[in-house]
Amino acid sequence: MTWHRALVLLVGFTAPAAAGAQAVQNATLRRAQQAYDNLEYRQVVSLAQAALRERLTGAERARAYELLGFTYGALDSILRAVDAFKQVVLIDPERQLDPNRVSPKAYSAFDVALRQVLLVRQLRVDSTSFVGGRGAVPIRFTVTQPARVVTRAIGTGGSYVIDSGAWNGQVNLSWPARLANGDPVPAGNYTVVVEARLGQNAFSASQPIRVSHGSVDTLPSLTSLPGYQYLPETEVPPQSWRPLGLAFLYTGGALVGTLGLESSSLGSSSKRELAVVGGAALVTGFVMTLRKPAPRPAAANILYNRLLRDQIARRNQDIAQENVARRQQVQLTLVPLPKPGGAGPR
Amino acid sequence: MSRATAGVVLLVLAARAAPAQGITVTVGPQFALASYREVASGLRYQGTGFGGGASARYRKLSAEAAVVRLTLAPAAGGTAASGFTATEVDVWVAYDLAPYASIEAGFIRRTADPEFDAQSVGAVRIGARSFYEIGPGATVLFRANYLAAPQFSGGGHAGFSIDLGLGLDVRLAGRLHGTAGYTFQRINRKTNPGGTGEIDAPIQGTMARVGLAVGF
Repeated sequence: MTWHRALVLLVGFTAPAAAGAQAVQNATLRRAQQAYDNLEYRQVVSLAQAALRERLTGAERARAYELLGFTYGALDSILRAVDAFKQVVLIDPERQLDPNRVSPKAYSAFDVALRQVLLVRQLRVDSTSFVGGRGAVPIRFTVTQPARVVTRAIGTGGSYVIDSGAWNGQVNLSWPARLANGDPVPAGNYTVVVEARLGQNAFSASQPIRVSHGSVDTLPSLTSLPGYQYLPETEVPPQSWRPLGLAFLYTGGALVGTLGLESSSLGSSSKRELAVVGGAALVTGFVMTLRKPAPRPAAANILYNRLLRDQIARRNQDIAQENVARRQQVQLTLVPLPKPGGAGPR
Repeated sequence: MSRATAGVVLLVLAARAAPAQGITVTVGPQFALASYREVASGLRYQGTGFGGGASARYRKLSAEAAVVRLTLAPAAGGTAASGFTATEVDVWVAYDLAPYASIEAGFIRRTADPEFDAQSVGAVRIGARSFYEIGPGATVLFRANYLAAPQFSGGGHAGFSIDLGLGLDVRLAGRLHGTAGYTFQRINRKTNPGGTGEIDAPIQGTMARVGLAVGF
């Protein structure tokens, strides 16, 4: 045995025992614990067995068997260690050893003990909230031997079978919390009971939960779509010589028309009238060329905004329909309650 | 109250009521410059005058009317012995075919006083116009009208008569607009005095109107 393996074993055997020493009231058991801390294994066996013959609490009894299990493991008496650990898990089914803190021998003995006893361990019901019919309650537990397992929710509102099947090892269930007609289970306190049966052996574990009903939040109407914004429906064209060009074009048209249509017999007509109005048009064109152009409707933006408005209107119609449905739905909230102490062999 | 004053008051009242119906209206006075030739190059006149104009628009329909009274005197170097006074009424009704073009119809009536110092003319206008907004509140316009079925106080007929126009409307401030309009008119009148054979008696005139208008 190398020095570091010895150190691991030393830590592995002492740490679990030390962790539980504070709760021990029985003097004999305390002495057994002391002997274990001093690596006096022969004394541990005799003292722990003596303590077990005395009046002990459940936790002390489990501690006594655990000391025996660790001690037998240290003494390479694996079968006895397994027997001792079986007593431990029958008293405290949730007992778990940390493989990083206990010796491999003790841990394997504990593991073998778990496989030889029918247990339902680590029953967990998570807090959850969902709309009735659109979610489920996650339920997890571990069955240590292949067994017929029936899971029920028993409460003031009735008893509902959640699952029934043959399971072994880690089991994950989803309970939709609905009645046969689709309605959610009535609000109230329930106890989730997992009952495992193998031949004559049976074991059950339970977890109290509270189911409450609430109204489902309705959705607000949309005023905009995320990532999409209305665009300006007018745009200012870039400044150009276009106004002056148009004024030239229109004035030129009038001038050309006048010159072209003048009667040869009447002679050239007066141009002062055209000069007045054409000059005014050209000056106006020049001024408008220097001024900021007038905003013009932006056809593409108008179309885009129309599409966006239509899209928002459609989404709001969908939301309104969804809200009608939501007002008829129930928000189920499920919270696990503290255990009164409910697991044990039957 | 004179008929003219009553007409102006009625026009202003109607213009103020129009916006409620979605109609835009402008009304305002005009100052006019004119030159007029008739029959031969020597018979030419020039003068000035005052008048008024009004326009209205309802969606694609628009209407325009102008009245002007001109005092025309013989032009320098001409052969005319005396001047005369002319009153001209122009009316157009137009329908927009495109954002920049309309077809239009209307009439022109010009009377001379004394009656036989110049030809009085009446004709139906049929034509088209193009207009373009060259800047904020500034619109330039060009029109060409055929003067159909002209009637003359001195008789005769005209196979070809045309009226060209250039217009400008600038919003000066708020509801106040500045307006300017130019018209060139050519009428190929022919007469048959005393049954001696048809002779040419053309009429040609130009007129510029400059004014202000209030929009409603």
